[in-house]
Amino acid sequence: MAVRVKSPGRIAQIALPWLVLLILLFLPKAGLSPNLLRLLFITAVWTTTSVGWNLLGGLTGQVSFGFAVFYGLGAYTTALMMHAGNNPYFSYFGAAAVAMIASFLIGLPAFRLRGPYFAIATIGVTEAVRVVMNNLDITGGSSGYRVTEEGPFRPLVHYYTAILMVAFAVLVSYVIFNSKFGLALRAIKQDEDAAADIGVNPYLSKLWVHAIAAALTGVAGGVYARYAAFIYPGNVFAFQTSIYILLMPVIGGIGTVWGAILGGVVFGVVEEELVAKFPNVHLLLYGALLIIIILLEPDGLLGLLRRLFRRRRRENPGSGSPDQELWGRGSLKERNV
Amino acid sequence: MSAVDVLNLLIAAFLLAGIYAAMSVGMTIIYGVMKIVNLAHAGFLMLGAYFAFELFQRFNLDPIIGAVLALPVFFAFGLGVHWLLVRWLPKSDTPTLASLLLMFGFWLVLQNVGYLVWGNTEESIFTPRTVSTITFGEISISTLRLIVFVAAVVSLAVLQFIFAHTWFGRSMRALIQNPYAAQIVGVDDQRTARLTFGLGTAFAGFAGALLSMLYSFDPDFGRSFLLRAFVIIVLGGLDSITGAAIGALVLALVETFSILIVPAGYQPAISFALLFVVLLVLPKGIAGLLQKKWRFV
Repeated sequence: MAVRVKSPGRIAQIALPWLVLLILLFLPKAGLSPNLLRLLFITAVWTTTSVGWNLLGGLTGQVSFGFAVFYGLGAYTTALMMHAGNNPYFSYFGAAAVAMIASFLIGLPAFRLRGPYFAIATIGVTEAVRVVMNNLDITGGSSGYRVTEEGPFRPLVHYYTAILMVAFAVLVSYVIFNSKFGLALRAIKQDEDAAADIGVNPYLSKLWVHAIAAALTGVAGGVYARYAAFIYPGNVFAFQTSIYILLMPVIGGIGTVWGAILGGVVFGVVEEELVAKFPNVHLLLYGALLIIIILLEPDGLLGLLRRLFRRRRRENPGSGSPDQELWGRGSLKERNV
Repeated sequence: MSAVDVLNLLIAAFLLAGIYAAMSVGMTIIYGVMKIVNLAHAGFLMLGAYFAFELFQRFNLDPIIGAVLALPVFFAFGLGVHWLLVRWLPKSDTPTLASLLLMFGFWLVLQNVGYLVWGNTEESIFTPRTVSTITFGEISISTLRLIVFVAAVVSLAVLQFIFAHTWFGRSMRALIQNPYAAQIVGVDDQRTARLTFGLGTAFAGFAGALLSMLYSFDPDFGRSFLLRAFVIIVLGGLDSITGAAIGALVLALVETFSILIVPAGYQPAISFALLFVVLLVLPKGIAGLLQKKWRFV
């Protein structure tokens, strides 16, 4: 690799994540109110799912409405394993494994479908899984499941687990984004056939990135289950959960690591604050936000920020939207058969 | 199980198929002409149901008349939605994720406006017809289901007529078959798309009003029917009314007869599972089928 000239911007880009992580790790020492701790915890859990989804939906361009399946399976696996006397941290691995297996079971048939058809199939999967989980005996059915853990409730333990989890998720995401695998995924998003022509196996690549995203989401579900101590299918397997997981990266800026993080943080904070005040309006707001983002600013909040910055630094001409391939691909003029 | 039971179930399935076809046909034509997977269809169905419900509550209007009134009202509504949102989408000959997510966002908006206006209690429309049946010997048919079936079939026939014999229908078919060639021979694709969206929405409102007579509903009413519509469309091929009718019949048969095997709790999962199985059996799904069809034209 050629030696890169490190501009101040570039250094900030590298240093910022570590700085944020350090602050988050030492924040409890400075004293946090229980409310703020809870807010940060929930935000970290959501952000993890957002970063996971973004690998599949943003980087690879396969929009899935089915991530509640992995979230719910992770939650239930953790709950059941902890009930059987396993260490919670070991249970998270179980959650990741179960979510990965589920992702293969879903992906093997579903990835034969492209784009919107895949998205539609995942809607069917979420609904079917929730119905099944509502009726299973082992999970207590629709009446829910109580997660048992010995000892007092330690919010700090949960907090650190969630922070380390989200840091790990971001790291995984960052590595994938900058790897050859990530390049292959990006090629698949732009044109699957062309990617296959240059030696990428779209089917396998999609399966693997789906599995990784599922594992991250499953762990997030597990961490949430241990914290919440009570889960039921109408919550963790809800279609709404899928919607949330999808909305975060889209709001933040689909297809970029930072966008997914930004989306998760904004969503977590807004969700925690809004649900209490306007219990009925928040999905309406998200719907409207989704419409506005798709019609006006397809790159989400991050795109908006970038646009503001670009206005100041003219020497960096905008190369157009980085996600033109995803959003505006295939106008009649450009795609002559 | 006796032969009469089988016959009763068959008739029930057939009657169900009528409303299923009417419910999915709006989505079919919008997909065919504009290549938009209209997730907001679920919201339109819900609004149609509440439209009939409000007319029934306030003016004591028969829901059948409500359903007929829904056609022009939702046509106008569809034109409005197209003007406000859909026309800004990039034109494409394959479905884009932007269109999918846009319609999904609009569905969320409709659904939650529904929650704001009508709350989350289940409503239903009860008329004297709701419980009456017509009996022929041992065979009994629900009057209401028969009426709904007739209304659905008539509407489909009208749509088929528009499709086959009017200039607008011809331009729709032309755009479905080949958008480039259609434009070359002078089909106004923007106008046709606008009218198609209106027509699709009108049918969604109509079907929603019909469904409101058969089922209880809340603002989340459309979701399960949306998935059924997908199954039907996938089964029947995406671009024809006949295909939608066939797909509807298959789904109705499977749902009706699965009552004999599948426990009631798992019943809602059938259409979703079927969607997945259909996609498995047709490995390339709808797109593959369409490609195959087009290659030989």
